Amino acid sequence: MALALMPLIRGVVFAAAGFAIGGVLAALISMLAGVPPSIEPLFAMGYLLALIGWLLGVGLWETWGREWFGLPVKHEAVDDWRRYFRFTTDHKVIGVQYLVTFIVLFLLAGLLAVLMRLQLMAPGQTILGPNEYNIVMSLHGIIMIAVAVATIIGGFANFALPLLIGAEDVAFPRVNALSYWVVPPVAVLLIASLFFGGFDSGWTAYPPLSVLNASGQLLFLLAFITFGLSSILGGLNFLATVILLRAPGMTWGRLPIFVWSIFCAALISLTATQFVATALLTVVLDRVLGMSFYNAAEGGAPLLYQHLFWFYSHPAVYIMVIPGFGLVLEVITHFSRKPLFAYKLVVAGFLSIVGLSFIVWAHHLFTSGMQDFLHIPFMVVTELISVPTGLVFLSALGTIWLGRLWLTTPMLFALGFVFNFLIGGITGIFLADVMTDIHFQDTYFVVAHFHYTIVGGEVFAIMAGIYYWFPKITGRMYHEKLGQIHFWWMFLGFNVTTLAMFWVGLQGMNRRVADYPAPLGGANMFISIVAFVLAGSFVIFVYNMVNSWVRGPRAAANPWRARTLEWQISSPPPVENFPQPPRVVGHPYHYGVPGSVHAVAGVAGGSGDGG
Amino acid sequence: MKVKTHGMIVALIWAAATAVGVVLARSVGILPSPASYEAHVIDSAMTLLTVLSVPVFMLVVVLVPYSMLMFGRSGEPEEDGPPIEGHHTIEVLWIGITSALVLFLAGYGAVGLTEIRTHAAGEQQLVVQAQGSRWFWEFTYPEQSIRTKEELVLPVGRPVRFEVTATDVVHSFWVPAFRMKIDAVPGMVTTVHVTPDQTGTYRDDFHFRVQCAELCGLAHANMTVPVTVMEQRQFDAWVAQKIASR
Repeated sequence: MALALMPLIRGVVFAAAGFAIGGVLAALISMLAGVPPSIEPLFAMGYLLALIGWLLGVGLWETWGREWFGLPVKHEAVDDWRRYFRFTTDHKVIGVQYLVTFIVLFLLAGLLAVLMRLQLMAPGQTILGPNEYNIVMSLHGIIMIAVAVATIIGGFANFALPLLIGAEDVAFPRVNALSYWVVPPVAVLLIASLFFGGFDSGWTAYPPLSVLNASGQLLFLLAFITFGLSSILGGLNFLATVILLRAPGMTWGRLPIFVWSIFCAALISLTATQFVATALLTVVLDRVLGMSFYNAAEGGAPLLYQHLFWFYSHPAVYIMVIPGFGLVLEVITHFSRKPLFAYKLVVAGFLSIVGLSFIVWAHHLFTSGMQDFLHIPFMVVTELISVPTGLVFLSALGTIWLGRLWLTTPMLFALGFVFNFLIGGITGIFLADVMTDIHFQDTYFVVAHFHYTIVGGEVFAIMAGIYYWFPKITGRMYHEKLGQIHFWWMFLGFNVTTLAMFWVGLQGMNRRVADYPAPLGGANMFISIVAFVLAGSFVIFVYNMVNSWVRGPRAAANPWRARTLEWQISSPPPVENFPQPPRVVGHPYHYGVPGSVHAVAGVAGGSGDGG
Repeated sequence: MKVKTHGMIVALIWAAATAVGVVLARSVGILPSPASYEAHVIDSAMTLLTVLSVPVFMLVVVLVPYSMLMFGRSGEPEEDGPPIEGHHTIEVLWIGITSALVLFLAGYGAVGLTEIRTHAAGEQQLVVQAQGSRWFWEFTYPEQSIRTKEELVLPVGRPVRFEVTATDVVHSFWVPAFRMKIDAVPGMVTTVHVTPDQTGTYRDDFHFRVQCAELCGLAHANMTVPVTVMEQRQFDAWVAQKIASR
């Protein structure tokens, strides 16, 4: 066991050494500079070296360092469970590493939500205390944001995207492993922040609050920046993979819609993430080096942060949700056994959303005090996004219409997505309109709106993806009945909980509060109780997943009779993906088109026929 | 059933559901009672947006369950559906209608916003400076030279110009009954105009409160101050009493 986990142990030891060296270095520097050493600069410097130490120990040295310095490279073939705990370059293993990590984090942050609802069951109640509530709320927020950003791209895109385009792996397999292995430090930092007083400024961390609060905030900032690194590397890798590694015949017009959606999200990850890193770094500098980006008394400008932060963080919601659109349309077309309606328009819609996503950020600032003349332009472009988003609905509805709908669990989750995201989208208009937003900004109306888009939307898409690809990933079948019970339980629980949140928002309950006016007690008690019921649905989910993975019946290669490439090979797929590289000859979604074929086996062992 | 029949049935259910939805959206009050001129403008925007949402909402709400019931099965389908890849007219109509809706909403929103920004901006304004600190508000009436932390008192019917700032972290000045909100930012003075048009007190309606709406740390949730809107006469008396007790 200890031997099996050797890379992890080495990573931890190197990290500890790096932390010690960094801390001592920072202490020396501050003494030389004549400043008494304080905790945050020591920690920041220590963390920087600890991160490098961790990555070297866990695999960078073995996979890159030895080769670079001409040392003998050890090739240790590991194909049992141990590969999941190693710096492995197989995209399918990395996909599973991402999926399992982020589902565990999702459940953890879900438990934090239960704690929050316990606190909010009655006004004036202090199960947690206001400080503890703010910390729990902030931790819930940032973990869920990470889950929303990484689960589809890191998990499903890693596992399925190379298969869907007929590739052997991603373009940069070692960079891919790197992008996963920077995630554990993120989780460790976020959880360790609790021992440094936590952070109480939400996931948005607006300064000056985030400059003045407990040291846990520094850990949050370092974690977020590190996570951004993972996101940038992932974006780069998927762009290169889609551009360079498509199988012969897999033209852009034949790309499965899920691949298109990842391509679009990767464009945003690669180009927008740097901006939030800048925002967070300036807060780090204010804290650690006493700079004054956000200290108004010394000419700092708190609004600057909000602009920088949302310049990434609004596009980021499309990093979350465009892959959700792609995944859901993918599932809907296969389980309707019809071509994807208006495929090319949907792709055009995705690309338009990418473009528009960069020029709408200031709708988060309608009540921030930014210049008045900016309000109307940002309202108009924000509302414009509903046109390309509407195309996703056109496609979903057009595909199921007159289809042969196979109402399996993944299909139910995909249809649930369509309903939930509709409510998320419509209420988005109320927040894009400056007038109504002035009242709704920072209330539970916003909380309900983004839970409809991120949970009702993206998490439902994630669930559709989990059930859809479960047989391919594990080689076993999940329990269909339990899956459907999970769907209905979660669908009803989620909708009742979150609709009621709109109500308290309209009634003047603001968000991020540990307490509220007494007249809102009844509605909050109701929300809490339904939320606990909703939480129960995940017990069924976890049981079904674990039990089916261990004991489920063996899955066929293509239990859904789907046309895309990942279903044309065994479940789970062989290490090399395609024993015979495929040659794509037709559209992936041409169900019902007489004589239509998506792909044929190409030349065995070859990298394609050059055509 | 023929394709046309399916289409007719869905259209009929959609029309009926939309009609019911529009009636409900117009008649059911879901917002707290408005207490300022601006609140009335915002509430009618809310009603309009809700009414326009109804047909969009009903389209999906009718189409998805209908398709599940009519075209769905729990077992594996034996055949494929018709190979429809798109429909030119429907696609053009879809994009046209959604774009037209957006343009209309943008225009409506711009007009309404200008209205609430400028309505109270005339002369005769009562100026109130609101300063947020962790975790309390302080209100200064510069013309009357009075200052208060315990309550915000305003006369009914007179435009008020709030000049808002903060001393430590970002706060947000929000009175739910007025619907108006503006952040209090250190180093900046932000302004918001409100014309209270209903008398009221926090004791009778909890929406008459200044509530900090931007997370500001420990006691953020309880950073509230009761609001009282009274007749000008009473307000003058209140001012006189404040000055006398200074």
